[in-house]
Amino acid sequence: MPQPYKRSRSLRRVYVKVPGGKTKLHYRKRKPGKAKCGSCGAILKGTLRERPNKMSNLPKTKKRPERPYGGNLCSKCMRILIVKRARSL
Amino acid sequence: MIEIGRLCVKTAGRDAGLKCVIVDILDNKFVLIDGETRRRKCNILHLEPLKDVIKVKKNASHEDIRKEFEKLGLKAMDTKPKQKTERPVKQNKRELKEEPKKKKADAKKPAKREKETESGIEEKIGALEEKKKPKKSAKNAKQEKK
Repeated sequence: MPQPYKRSRSLRRVYVKVPGGKTKLHYRKRKPGKAKCGSCGAILKGTLRERPNKMSNLPKTKKRPERPYGGNLCSKCMRILIVKRARSL
Repeated sequence: MIEIGRLCVKTAGRDAGLKCVIVDILDNKFVLIDGETRRRKCNILHLEPLKDVIKVKKNASHEDIRKEFEKLGLKAMDTKPKQKTERPVKQNKRELKEEPKKKKADAKKPAKREKETESGIEEKIGALEEKKKPKKSAKNAKQEKK
């Protein structure tokens, strides 16, 4: 009987080709959920979905769009916010 | 609303939220902007015009606009020209690989032994001879006693 953690689906299954030439089943941790807009909840584009160990080794520019509120708000919500501010000036 | 000298706020892209001035009108869709943003071509739809209008000539230089912005208490973007740097010379991969090997070979070399003195050699010979001497067994000891 396989170990209990291998029986559940909390870990994802990845087929890996090992150096011996065989394909083996490896168990890896699941990726985090997709980043969402802080105001409307839409899925953000241009954001990565990786585990922290990989994210820490990547440059900032690869992780979120390079505009104000990039990675927190979607482009539509950001524009609404900026226009609202500009009109209040 | 869209005219030369009109202050605007950019609402899209990397310069979003920054103030700029329309310097030139290129066609019915695009204008040339400068100010807190980079000096660049911009779609009218990506600008939010403000109430103020500055006296600026058509195609005014970046320095003129900087002076006008300073009067308003704003700071125009300063782009530093890139300094010329020498291109790095590419090294052959083989040469790079060979260098660390040499270092390894040097590290493995055992440290030179100190020169053995004559007294040291004599001590070693004495110790070897003692080892070679057969130990007296229990039977031999009894026979000697008799």
